[in-house]
Amino acid sequence: MRNVLSARKGEDMPFVPDPQQRFRPGEVILEMRNITKRFPGVVANRRITFDLRAGEIHAILGENGAGKTTLMSILFGMLQPDEGEIYVYGKKVTFRSPLDAINMGIGMVHQHRKLVSAHTVLENIILGHPRAGKVLNLKEVEEEVVALAEKYGFRIDPRARVWQLSEGEKQAVEIVKALYRGARILILDEPTSALTPQETEHLLESIVTMARSGLGVVPFITHKLPMVLAVSDRVTVLRRGEVVARLETKDVTEQLLAEKMVGRPVLFDLKKPDVPLGRPVLRVENVSTLNDKGLPALKGASFEIREGEILGIAGVSGNGQRELAEVLAGLRKLTGGRIYFDGRDITQASVLDRWKMGIGYIPAERKDVGSIGEFTLVENVLMNFYFDPSMVQHGIIDYAKALRLTKELIIEFGVSTPGPEAKAKTLSGGNLQKIILARVMARRPRLLIAALPTQGLDIGAMEFVRKKILEAKAHGAAILLISEDLDEVMSLSDRIAPIYEGEIMGIIPADEAKKEVIGAMMAGSRVEETQQ
Amino acid sequence: MRIGRYRLKLEKRVTLAGWQAALISLFAIVVALALFSIIFFLAHVNPLRAYKEIFSYAFTNRYGLLLTVNRFIFLLFATFAFIIPAKAGLWNIGMSGQLYIGALAAFAVVYAFGGKNSQSAQLNPWIVLPLMVLAAFAGGALVGGIAGYLKGKLDVNEIVLTMLLNFIAFWLVAHMIKEGGPFMNPQGRGESFALPKSLHAPLIFGVPFTIILALGSAVLLEFVFRKTSFGYQIRAFGQSPPAARYAGIRPFRIALLVFLLGGGMAGLAGYHYFGAVPGVYKIARTYGYFGDLSFYGIICGLISLNNPIAAIPVALLFGGLSIGGRFVQGKLHMGFGLDYALLGVLMITLVAFQFFYRNKIVLERVDS
Repeated sequence: MRNVLSARKGEDMPFVPDPQQRFRPGEVILEMRNITKRFPGVVANRRITFDLRAGEIHAILGENGAGKTTLMSILFGMLQPDEGEIYVYGKKVTFRSPLDAINMGIGMVHQHRKLVSAHTVLENIILGHPRAGKVLNLKEVEEEVVALAEKYGFRIDPRARVWQLSEGEKQAVEIVKALYRGARILILDEPTSALTPQETEHLLESIVTMARSGLGVVPFITHKLPMVLAVSDRVTVLRRGEVVARLETKDVTEQLLAEKMVGRPVLFDLKKPDVPLGRPVLRVENVSTLNDKGLPALKGASFEIREGEILGIAGVSGNGQRELAEVLAGLRKLTGGRIYFDGRDITQASVLDRWKMGIGYIPAERKDVGSIGEFTLVENVLMNFYFDPSMVQHGIIDYAKALRLTKELIIEFGVSTPGPEAKAKTLSGGNLQKIILARVMARRPRLLIAALPTQGLDIGAMEFVRKKILEAKAHGAAILLISEDLDEVMSLSDRIAPIYEGEIMGIIPADEAKKEVIGAMMAGSRVEETQQ
Repeated sequence: MRIGRYRLKLEKRVTLAGWQAALISLFAIVVALALFSIIFFLAHVNPLRAYKEIFSYAFTNRYGLLLTVNRFIFLLFATFAFIIPAKAGLWNIGMSGQLYIGALAAFAVVYAFGGKNSQSAQLNPWIVLPLMVLAAFAGGALVGGIAGYLKGKLDVNEIVLTMLLNFIAFWLVAHMIKEGGPFMNPQGRGESFALPKSLHAPLIFGVPFTIILALGSAVLLEFVFRKTSFGYQIRAFGQSPPAARYAGIRPFRIALLVFLLGGGMAGLAGYHYFGAVPGVYKIARTYGYFGDLSFYGIICGLISLNNPIAAIPVALLFGGLSIGGRFVQGKLHMGFGLDYALLGVLMITLVAFQFFYRNKIVLERVDS
C-alpha cells in the first residue's frame, strides 16, 4: 500500500487512484457541490459548484477578491469548507490537509514557487515523496522523472540546481513533481504570470498534452484571458464569491469573459485622443547604464518624446526597461549619454529636482518603491508633495491640505479604501496603483514615465489606468510607456520602440506597426531586417 | 484554548491606539514586578515591603526623588539619541561614546576659559554655560556624525561603527582625565578637574535647568516628526529606503543628519550628568558606569515605540527603579546588583509584552 494516510484512516478514504489507471475521457473525476466558505465579515465562496472531467482543461476565472484563492485552498485541503461536498472519482472526500488532497491524486502548482533553490531538480522532485526516506535508487528515479517529463514535453535537467533555472523551468519542475507524486488532477495558480511569451507557448502545449493523456487540468486565472481562450475546454467565471457563468470556451470571446468577470462591459480598445503633437519634451541621446550586477543594461538608447505623445517601449522583461526608467527618473547613474528635458540638460539633475521640474515616475515596483505600506494614504500622497510649496510652508507640512487632496484623489480615481487614514498595505494591487497614479498625476507632470502600469491589475483597474494615461496625453503630457504587454503598447502608443538586451531596435509609428514585426524586434531583429 | 463554554483566541491587531499601548506597558510592569518578587522571596524579604521601599524612595523621598530626576534627564537624552536615528531605520548604539565626547567638549570650554585651576575662578555663566551646552551637543554630534557620514557615503554598518566609536571615546576620556592628561584633577584621583562654583548649573527646585532642555526636546522632536517635511523624510526613509529614494529623499543627507542630532542628544546627556548634577561637577572616575547606563536609552526607545513623548514616563520609571533598587539593596542588606537585575527583568518583560502590540487575545463564546 503506497498510501500511508488512507491506511491509517481506513473507512474515510478507501479509494486510492492508481496512477496507471486510465479514466475514460469525459468521465467526471472531480466535483464540488455547493461549497460555501465564510470568513469574519465576508462570504468568500457562496454555493459554488464545479466539475472536472478526465481529459479536460477547465479554467476558473475571476478578478482579485472573487474567491479564487479560497476555492483553490479548499480544493487542495488547505481550508475546510463551511458547507458543501467534494467528490473525487465519484467518492465523497474530506480533506484535512494538503496531504489528503495529494494522496487523492490532486496536484497543485502555486504561483509562488515552493522549491528548495540550493537543491537539485531531482532532489526537489522526490522531496516529500513517500518513497523518499526509504532506500532509493536515485538512478532509477532519475530515469523515471526524465521519462515523465519528456512524455509531456517538459525539458528539465534533473541534476541542475533550482537557483539556476528560469521561472518557466521552475514551474515545469513543480508540475513534474506533482505528476511524479501521482497527480491526475492538476491545479495551476496563474500559470503564465511570470513566463516569457516563448515559455508561455511551451507551457500551453504541455498542458494540452497532459489533458490529451487523460489528466484534468484546472488553471486559475486573473488576467491572461487569451491563454484561457487558447487552450481551455470550459470556463467557470467567479465574481464576488459566486459562480456567474459556466461556458464552453468555443462559445466565448475575450470581451464576453471580461464582461462576466467585471460585471459590466469593458473597453478593450480605448479611443486614443487625437492630440496635436507639440514641442519635444524629452530628448535622450545615446544613454547607457549598468544594471545592479554591474553589467551593461542599456546600450546607447536615443529617442525623443513630444508633448501629447506616447512612446511605447515594448520588450520582454529584463531587457533594460527598468534601468531606462530609473535613469530618466534620476535613480540610476549613467555611464554615457545625455538627457534633455525641455531643452535643458538634466543628465546630472537629482531625483527631487526632476520631480520639481515636472517629471513624474510611476514605478513598476508598486509595493517596494512606489508606496510605503506602513504609511497612511495621506502620507503616501505626500511622497510627491512633501517638497511642494503648495503643501509645505517654512518646512511645516499642511496636513489638513494633504488630507483634502487625498480625499479628492480617492474620489476622482475611485480608490476603494476605508478612508484616507488607512494604511497603504491594506489596499489591493489595483487600488494601490490608482493612488500612486493619482498622486503622480496630481502634479500634472510634463513628462510621465509609466513602468508596467497595468501589470498584475484586474481588468477593471487596467482599463482605468489606461484611460488615465490617455487623459494625460490629452492634456499634453509626453509619456514614456514601458510595458511587457504587446497589445497594450500597440493600442496606447503613438510610436513603438521595441527594446532588446538594452538596445532600442528601432522606432515605428503605431499605425504602421504590425504585431509580428514588433515581436521579431523584441526578439532581437533590427527594424531594417524585418522590412526585407 | 477552551475554558468551559468560552474559547480564547489569538488575533492580529490591525491598529494600536496610544492608550492601548500604555495599558499593555502598565500591565507588563506589574507582571515584571510580580516576577521579580521571586528574588525577594529567595532572600526572605517581603516583596511588598521591598517595592514600597523602592517606590517611596525613588518617587517620594526628597533626596531620592532628586536622584531619580537626574537619572531621568540623563536617560531621556540617551533615549532621544536612540530614537532619532531609529525613526530613520538606523541603529545608534553609540550613546555612551557620544556622551563621553560631549562631556569632554563641555569641559574643554571651561579649560579654554582658564577655569581649570581654581574652584573660585569667576567666569560669566551667561556666556560660558551656553557655550558648554553647545559644545556638548557639538561633541556628541561629531561622534555621531562620523557614523552617519560613513553610513551615508559608504553604507558601512552603523551598529558596528557606533559601537567601536564607544571604545575610542572611552579611552580618549581616560587619556584626558587620568594621570598626565590635560583635564586631570590637580589632586589626581583619576578624575577631571572640578567646575568652578560660578559655573554650577542653575537649579529649579533643586533640579538642574537641563530638565527644560530634555522636556523641550521631547516636544520639539514630536513636532518635527509629526508636522515637518524634515520629519516626514526621516520617517519615509525609515520605513522604506527605496521608496524614499524614489520620492527624491537623499539617503546620505538623512543618515548624516539623524546621527548628528542623535549624537548631539547624547552629548547633552554627558553635559547634564558631569556638568550640571549637583555634587558631581566633574567627569567622575566612574564615568564608564554612566556610559553603560546610557544604553538603557535603547531599551526606553524600543519600549516607547520611538515616540519622544511616550519616552518621558518610560525614562522616569527606569531612572526611578535604578535609584530605588540600589537604595533597597543597601537598606535590606541584599546582594549586589539588585538594581541591574530589576531593570533587566523589567526590560525583558516589556519587550516580550510588545507581542500584544501586534496581537490580541479574544474571548468568544462557543456555541453548540
